[in-house]
Formats: sequence, C-alpha cells, structure tokens
Amino acid sequence: MRLEKCWFCSSTVYPGHGIQFVRNDAKIFRFCRSKCHKNFKMKRNPRKVKWTKAYRRLHGKDMTQDSTFEFERKRNRPERYDRNLAENTLKAIKKIDKIRSDRASDHIKNRLKTGKVQRQKEARKQLEQGIHLVKAPLALAQDSSLCLPKIKVNVSQAQIEENQPMEE
Amino acid sequence: MVQYNFKKITVVPNGKDFIDIILSRTQRQTPTVVHKGYAISRLRQFYMRKVKYTQQNFHEKLSTISDEFPCLDDIQSILWNLISKIAKDYVKLLKYGDLLCRCKSLKVAALGRMCTVIKRIGPSLAYLEQIRQHMARLPSIDPNTRTMLICGYPNVGKSSFMNKITRADVDVQPYAFTTKSLFVGHTDYKYLRYQVIDTPGILDRPFEDRNIIEMCSITALAHLRAAVLFFLDISGSCGYSISQQAALFHSIKSLFMNKPLIIVCNKTDLQPLDGISEADRKLVMEMKGEAMKTVIGVLLIMSTVTEDGVIAVKNAACERLLNQRVELKMKSKKINDCLNRFCVALPKPRDQKERPACIPQAVLETKAKQAAEKEKRKTEKDLEDENGGAGVYSASLRKNYILSNNEWKEDIMPEILDGHNVYDFIDPDILLRLEELEHEEELSPEEQEALAEIRKKKSLLIQQHRMKKSTAESWPVVPKKFDMDRKFLTERMGRQLSCLGLDPSLAINRARNKSRGRKRERSVDRRVGDDGDAMDIDDNQASKKFRLRSTSRSRSRSRPPSEVVPGEGLKDSAQKVKTIKLAKKSVLKRNKNARRGEADRVIPTLKPKHLFSGKRSIGKTQRQ
Repeated sequence: MRLEKCWFCSSTVYPGHGIQFVRNDAKIFRFCRSKCHKNFKMKRNPRKVKWTKAYRRLHGKDMTQDSTFEFERKRNRPERYDRNLAENTLKAIKKIDKIRSDRASDHIKNRLKTGKVQRQKEARKQLEQGIHLVKAPLALAQDSSLCLPKIKVNVSQAQIEENQPMEE
Repeated sequence: MVQYNFKKITVVPNGKDFIDIILSRTQRQTPTVVHKGYAISRLRQFYMRKVKYTQQNFHEKLSTISDEFPCLDDIQSILWNLISKIAKDYVKLLKYGDLLCRCKSLKVAALGRMCTVIKRIGPSLAYLEQIRQHMARLPSIDPNTRTMLICGYPNVGKSSFMNKITRADVDVQPYAFTTKSLFVGHTDYKYLRYQVIDTPGILDRPFEDRNIIEMCSITALAHLRAAVLFFLDISGSCGYSISQQAALFHSIKSLFMNKPLIIVCNKTDLQPLDGISEADRKLVMEMKGEAMKTVIGVLLIMSTVTEDGVIAVKNAACERLLNQRVELKMKSKKINDCLNRFCVALPKPRDQKERPACIPQAVLETKAKQAAEKEKRKTEKDLEDENGGAGVYSASLRKNYILSNNEWKEDIMPEILDGHNVYDFIDPDILLRLEELEHEEELSPEEQEALAEIRKKKSLLIQQHRMKKSTAESWPVVPKKFDMDRKFLTERMGRQLSCLGLDPSLAINRARNKSRGRKRERSVDRRVGDDGDAMDIDDNQASKKFRLRSTSRSRSRSRPPSEVVPGEGLKDSAQKVKTIKLAKKSVLKRNKNARRGEADRVIPTLKPKHLFSGKRSIGKTQRQ
C-alpha cells in the first residue's frame, strides 16, 4: 500500500481514491480526483494551471530545493526489518515534517516580505505627500503631529430652532 | 498361421454392384473406339482383349475376397473355374469372327454369361458381407500371446475386476448377463503385455442347454491357451450360493487342463473368507484342492470395491502364466535356435574371496537418518490439519524470517504516517542526517554568545586594520623592536592565551628562554617603577647582574644566516640557504628598478619626452 502523488496537482492520492491511467507506452498517470483527470484529458499543462504544485514550484511561489526533500526518496531495495530503525524513522518523520513546513512557511513569508516592505514604504510616502489633502499646511505648521483636525461648525441660534424638527 | 485382421477385410459387394464394378472397369481400362474398316485381326484382338480383361478382373476380385476371409478356398475355385471356362470358349469363337457385328455380339454374350454366374451367387455374396460386418465388430484377440481368461457365475465381479486392471470400460450392472460377449483389455506385467478377456457369466447347466452367450465363454475356455481366473462370490450377493458355484466349477474343470488356474474369492468386503459357514468352507477347500492338483493353482481373496488384493491377484496370474509359457518354450525344439543367441556374461572369479558392494558407513548412517527424519518431520500441511483445516488455520508466514532479534517477528510496522510513506524514509543513518538537519536550523544560545564574541573581536580587528590602512602613508612608523605600544610582553601574551583557553606558562617559559639579551635602557625602564634610586652604583651593579641573570638566561650572540631557528618551518640549513637565495633573487630585479615592493607599479612619467620626440629612422611616428 503506497500513497501516490497525483500527476496533475501533486497532492497525495490515498488508497481507494482517484483514477490511474496507463498509456500505451506503459507510463502510469495517477489522479486524485476527477477534476485533475478531466484537466488531463483536456490536455492542459499543469505547469500553466495556477492552483497546481507544479506551477507554484516553477514560478517560485513554493520552496523548491531543500535538504528535507532528500529524506523522502523512493527506495527500491528492501531493507531488513529492524525495530529500532523503524522507531527512529517514525520519530524522525515527524521532526522532518515540522522542519520542512517551517521552512516552507518561512520561504513564503520572505517572499511576501518584500511586498510588505514595499507597501509600507509606499504608505509612508503617501502619508508624507498626501497629508495636505486632509490637513492644511498651516494647521500642520501649528500642530506637527498627525492628528486630523476635528470638524468645527459655528451654528447660530436661529438655525438650531429651525433644524429641530428636522433632527427628530 | 496367418494373422487375420478382421477389421481390415474389404467390403464384399453384392451381386449387382459386383457386375457394375467389373463392367465399368472393363469399359474404362480397355480401348473403346473401333471402326468396321479396321483389319479383321485388329477387330478380333479388340474384342478378345475385352473378354479376357473381364475374366481377369473377376478372378482378381474373387481371389481377394477368398484371401481375406478365413476359410473360403473351395468356393472361390469353383467360381473361378466357371468363369474361366466361359472366357476360354468365347475367345475361341472370337478367333474365327469375320465381321465387326459378329465379334461384338460374341463379346456381349461372353460378358453376359459371366455376369449371370455372378448374379446367381448374389445371395451368397450378401451373406459374406454380413459375416464380414459381424467379424469386424469382434474384439481382436491374438490367440498366441499371453492371455488371461476371467470366468465364473454371472454378477460375481468379473467385469469390475476387468475395469480395475485394464483400461477397458465394461458395463457393470446389477442384473445378470450384462456382459453379452467377450471383451478384451490389456494390462502390463514385468514389461510384457497381457490380454485379459472378460467372458459372460456361465450357469450350471448341461452342455446342450446352454445359450449362445454362455457358449461364447465355453468356447473361449476351450480354445484359448490362457491362464484362467475362476471367480467366486463369497458373500452370495450375486444371487447364487457357494454350493452352486462350486458345482459349476466341478463341471467345467475339465476345460482347465494344463492351464494355470487361480480361484479368486471376490467381494470379501461384504463377507470375509473366515466368516463363511462350515459347509461352504469345505466346498471352497475342495475347490482349492482341485486347483492345487492342476499345473499350478492357488486361492486368493480380494475385493474390487476396496481394491484390496486386486493387484495381488493380477500379479499372481501373470506370474504363473509367464512361468508356464517359459517352461513350455524351454522344452520345445525351437528353443535351441534361440538358445545360442542368449549369453549371460559373468566375470570369471579370480579367487574365492567375496567382494560385496562397498558403501561407506557415513552414507548408510545418513540414509537411515534421512529416512527417520522424513517420517518424523512435521510438515506445514500436518500443522494445518491439526489446527482445524484449510479454512480455519492460516499459516504464519513470518515464522522463518531472519531478523537480528527474534522478538520482532510479529511486529507490525506502519506503512503510512501523516501523508508520507514510511518506507521512503527508512535509512540506516537517518538519525545522523536528522542531526545535521537540525544543525542547519537556528543556533543555540551558547552558539549565539560565541557568535557575538567572534563578531565583536572581528570588528575590532577590522577597525584597527582600517585605522592602519588609512594612516599607512602618513603615520610615522616606529620599528617594532622599540615596542612603543608595549605589545610584545610575555604577560600580554599570557593574558591573551588564557582568554583563548590555553595554559600560557609553557609558552612564557619558552619565550623567556629563547629571547636575546636586552639593551640596558630597556631594562632600566622596567625598573623605574620599583624604587627611585636606580642610579645607586652598588645597587646598580648588583641589580644589573641579577637582572642580567634573571631576565636573559642566554648569552646574546648573533646568528649566522644559515642557522635554522626552530619555528621558522625549515628543514635544515641547506634549505634555509636556498630559501634566502630565492628570496634575494625575487627582490633583485625590483630593487634594480627602484621599486618599493611588489605592488609598486608606479610609472613616474607616463610620456617621457625622449621617447615621444624626434624623427624615425624606420617606421612611422604614429607607432613608436
């Protein structure tokens, strides 16, 4: 029993799910669900379809090269069973998984950091440049903090009496 | 004696067909065209040929029939005579025929008479055909080969026995006279083929009253030279008692002359031989006695249902028959022809010493052990049967696994964990690699501390270097030997080494040992701090001596240039001399060019006037 990878989206195919297609040249294509299968039949290239892992890796959205990927490799030679080894392997899998996911999220964070920084810079610049839209330079000169001035309206008594029915 | 194969007899045609065949053949095989203008001799020859040809054909066909049928000689000759007489007569007449039409009518008459003869024997031919058909259906019994004959009352088990020992598939039914004719089967014994003939049952009746079916068996018994197996039904389930069967035996025992006889007691599963009544037992013993009196006779018991003793009976019968036949052959005259062809060669014994086969003791032992083991060893199948059979017990396939620790044999290892295949991760040094991986991750606090220290120190060095670099050209350099910064003190060295974690005492001692003598000013400077009266003479002298002794422990002396100082990294003085020479050589050229060092590439004047002015003797001024 093995968990396979979907050919189209690279997600894991659990036993009992999906479809396997064997071509005449004996190449096997496994799909996790009919969505991927139908896309394949439409001859779409997964590298161009935004939501697949192939696209994300190709366009640098996800981590491509890392030493944690070296741990998971399909081995063709069977190893003799060793309980200690099995124990260690199971424990190691969890740790490796954690490290890998941390690194992946770091990678994404780093990738998004430049955007964030840029947005911050832009924001600051806009703040600096556009402050005159909300606060007059004179007011700025008097009060250099960025508190926005409150709207002060002098209303006469007569107008108040007139407006009372409206306020109801 | 000619071997007759009844199945291969040609079909005997009936009268009309016979005539048709002969006449059409004549018409086809002889020339057909004749004209009345031909020479008379030719005409005569033509018609004579036809007559003769017809006669010959008749003769041929009749002789084939008579040859193939076992005993038909005289009939055939009579016919032949008739036909040949007719042919002869008409040939004679034809010799004197003068016209075509006359010859033709003669020929017609001849053929007509021959055909009449055949027409008259038409019914006989039909009868012959019937016989032929019947004979073809008979089983082919070779009367000369080894034969076993099975006889007895109806329903005793003769056909069942037949079915058991041969591949014949005889009908076995509960009613009497199931077998209505002879059946032949074949069986093997000692690489020889035996014919086994199954007969219909015989009833105990006087000879004249027997019906055709019974006569079959009687005739077979009478004429075939075979071993006889007389079947006896002990249990009486055939419907006839033992006394009746015994009576039959006695009445036909005359037919068993000179034949190996075996009395077979069948159906012992229903009634064992010991369980029969006293009277019956007497009868059986009587029969046995009779059997013993003949050539070679014996009584055997068997049961076709349980297959108990069937093989024994067959073997006994075959053995006896074989022996009898061999004996007879030996006694006959023909053996002498064959005898000189046989020769069993035995090596001539050299002496009386016995030389048995030599098998080493070890081999015998292992053979015995193997045999014992084979019986004692418990197979997986036995285990399965013990534990409830095929559906209940499932064999433990892990029993014979070879593992480092036998406790792990029944371990179940998970194949999938958290969306990964565990088998893909298995690696003997996974722990090592995991450690390395964790190293790649964040540093521990001590590591961070150390890193901070390193960075601090590094930055200090860089700062110093930068300061030196920037002031390199303008800073006045005091030669190192004056040590204005007080950098080259052993205490300083000691402090630095202990900061790094080393024990400085050895190094300090060595430095002090190997150091040269110091100048007086230096030593004076040192002592300034202690007391103010450095100029006291007595003190000075004593202190000088003390100082000299204490501070420099070795005499100052200049070193020759080829002396190897340990710590320089040179092997011996020769190497040192060579290095000095190389160093000087590399420097010579530069010095001659008044260069300050390696990196000095300054060109004082880029365009010296004396090179860029004046006329050329050859070449252009553009290029100089």
